Amino acid sequence: MKFWMQRVAMAILLLLSVSALTFGAMNVLGDPLFNILGPLAGDVNNPKSAALIEEVKAKYDLDKPLPVRYVKWLGDFATGDMGVQFSTDGQPPVSGLIKERVPRTITLLIMAQLLAVMISIPWAAITAARAGKRSDKISTMNSFFLLAMPNFALAILLKYIFSLKLGWFPLTYKAIDPLFQQLRQMFLAAVTIALPAAAVYQRLLRTDLITTLQQDFILMARAKGLSRSRVIFRHAIRPSMFSFITVVGLNTGGLIGGSIVVETVFRIPGIGSSLVESVLREDFPVVLAIVMLIALTFVIINVLVDILYSIIDPRVRR
Amino acid sequence: MQITKSRRYRAAIAVGLTFAFLAASCGSDSEGTEAPTTEAPTSEAPTTEAPGTPVAGGTLRYGVEAETDGLNPTSSAFAVSAYVMGNAVFDTLTALAADGTWVPNLAASLTPSEDLKDWTLVLRPDILFHDGTPLNSAAVKANFDAAYAAPLVGLAVRPFYPAENAVEIVDDLTLIYHLLDANLQFPHALRSQLGYVASPTWLAAAIADPTLNQAPVGTGPFKFDSRTQDSVTRFVRNDAYWGGDVWLDAIEFIPVVDPATRLELLQNGELDAMHTTETESLAPLREDESIFNIIDDNGEESFVMINSAKAPFDDIRVRKAITLATPRMEYNTLFGNGEARLADQRFTPESPYYDETIKQEADDPEAALALVAEYCAEGLLTAEGTPTCTDGKVNMEWQYTGPSVVGQRITDLFNASWGAAGFNVTNDELAQDDHIQQAALGQYNVIGWRQFGAYQPATDAVWLLCRTIGGISLNWPRYCDETRDSLLLEAQVAPTQADEAPIQKQISQNIHDAYTYIFLQHTVWANSFTSAVHGTCDVKSPEGVALACAINGTTAFTSTWMS
Repeated sequence: MKFWMQRVAMAILLLLSVSALTFGAMNVLGDPLFNILGPLAGDVNNPKSAALIEEVKAKYDLDKPLPVRYVKWLGDFATGDMGVQFSTDGQPPVSGLIKERVPRTITLLIMAQLLAVMISIPWAAITAARAGKRSDKISTMNSFFLLAMPNFALAILLKYIFSLKLGWFPLTYKAIDPLFQQLRQMFLAAVTIALPAAAVYQRLLRTDLITTLQQDFILMARAKGLSRSRVIFRHAIRPSMFSFITVVGLNTGGLIGGSIVVETVFRIPGIGSSLVESVLREDFPVVLAIVMLIALTFVIINVLVDILYSIIDPRVRR
Repeated sequence: MQITKSRRYRAAIAVGLTFAFLAASCGSDSEGTEAPTTEAPTSEAPTTEAPGTPVAGGTLRYGVEAETDGLNPTSSAFAVSAYVMGNAVFDTLTALAADGTWVPNLAASLTPSEDLKDWTLVLRPDILFHDGTPLNSAAVKANFDAAYAAPLVGLAVRPFYPAENAVEIVDDLTLIYHLLDANLQFPHALRSQLGYVASPTWLAAAIADPTLNQAPVGTGPFKFDSRTQDSVTRFVRNDAYWGGDVWLDAIEFIPVVDPATRLELLQNGELDAMHTTETESLAPLREDESIFNIIDDNGEESFVMINSAKAPFDDIRVRKAITLATPRMEYNTLFGNGEARLADQRFTPESPYYDETIKQEADDPEAALALVAEYCAEGLLTAEGTPTCTDGKVNMEWQYTGPSVVGQRITDLFNASWGAAGFNVTNDELAQDDHIQQAALGQYNVIGWRQFGAYQPATDAVWLLCRTIGGISLNWPRYCDETRDSLLLEAQVAPTQADEAPIQKQISQNIHDAYTYIFLQHTVWANSFTSAVHGTCDVKSPEGVALACAINGTTAFTSTWMS
């Protein structure tokens, strides 16, 4: 029980730290009044404008000290109220915006994760079977290339080749198109996120596979006359997947970070692109809500991984 | 304006700030925007789009240069993109004819009183909004009252109407506009944002639920269907359109901020139409045989704007010095891409209001140095008590939006020239929103801007009158001249273009002599369509008068069809 309580307490502490730091940073950096009132926000000598400024300050709690605003925001957030946008009419509410955009980001991330897994497993199997050979060295170079390449550059490269030159995929994403078309429009974005992730998974799985392939039971299987590919895919892959599955799980949170840039490049209105726009617009409630959602996703996944570990190996609870 | 067949290539980024809603509210076609864009002369011989028989059907995908925050004409800040969308869903009370005159649209007639201060508007009967609400004088008044009361849109409305009873209902279809000044050009004010008429039922509902500002209800040729901000806004055909046949099934407006991407999407067939002010896009658009362009540089001007209410630029010698120190020719060479024409005043040489004797001064650093030396010798202080000069050079701040590569390059160019001509330049790169705010509040010395270009220049008075100076100014340079005001009001009542032209020339001379604007280039707007799009320029008024088909980047869609 103590183990679980510690885990939950750490998760809450982490979320509080993230929220406090983000709240403080956003409020120090910008002037939310301008987002709401436009130039009227600076027209303080005009009694009408001044009255409007005071009204808006009261409405958005901007007249209260930062700690008071933080506590109020935290209370509201805990009850599911993410507040309103800092815009002229505050619409749609932040929860509405998140609700509209999250499904697109989740779809993109699922596509990316599936692609990464589908690419990395055969890739790792082939390179592990040919470890140390020329093809393995070329593969290693490719992995490092994908890991080193910034995802915005990869995104532009893919767009240029597959949309502009070959015309295989559309350049635009349209939220009103049928689901199948939307998936097609998202495909290159998903590939952009998937390729570096696949490189990580491939490196990890390849290493574990090489170790597994040196085991006696593999030698036995080969001695029985099974083909190399059958040995790898039927006997070696499964026992090599433990670290792979762990990293795939943990990396799901990391992919959200990748989606921020990729959604912007591919003009997909998900929470990643929304975060970028909101930071530029100094729309604090939206930024806070998205940052908290990302942090929450990280924390939940980490807690789940901890739980899984503790179930698989109870020694980690001690 | 010229119409050409043209072609493709690639573009760079243009940063534009818009205050179009303010201009629109006053009926101006111009937009107050920042200047670091450089545009093109229209040098090719005009050709026309191939004629054909309109067919119904098709979805037009239109790439707009930016997303808009809302589509409520009485309260939302309308920039070019909002106008393009607004033209699909709303009708205006009056419209601009191809010959530059106004014609009735939703209005059946608009008649002035003898003193030109009261205008009686009679609406066409039996017009319904998309929600079934009838168009009547109460609806028009509700729209006007909402715009008048709106904090921002009202800034451009209130200076021209009495506080009480500005619009008076006579009967169900008749109402009277009461103006503060005699104005023969008033109908032009009703062909832009102030002239859009939204359903009063929807306006009332949008007050209770502001999310409805994203789902407009008008009388226009298309009805709102769906909107996902930053992705696509879709309108579908209004089969009961009062103005006759509408050919397209639907229009989808897709915001694509990067002009190079917008161009690529058009060339790759993912867009059917787009607009741009990006000079680097113009050559490829012209060269592409499959693209039909409407190119126009008679609209707004790019210029450097000077705050005359703040030291050191409250002294005309300093304003003149920075004007003379500005490298206008080099600016045009570097940023015009061979496309933009140098501007000397608010009008292009083809305009009847153009005065060939007025030339924008610039490129004379020696003369600038002499003026700076004379000014700095007096040892004046700013309002804050700081010296206006240091080491014999005038201290000043240049404000521009960023981050922007073009903005930075312009800044580097100006810094070098102004620095060599006796100015200590401090650069202030601001986010777009802050940039507008500082201009509106007069918290700047020298700033890049884009504005003017109304087809009826009298409607540009909003930017120039003394009465629009205040805590928030639309007279951005905060320059008040009673003589200019008299001329502006006189231009409003000129009975003919021939009568107005000499007055506008005097105003241009007055603007030149005040040294508050350093005109750089005429902005070029291109409205471009693929070969599948036809009929955009066949748009007509209810009485069959040919209407202007492109105004400062906006077009109408009533007559547009796709093959």
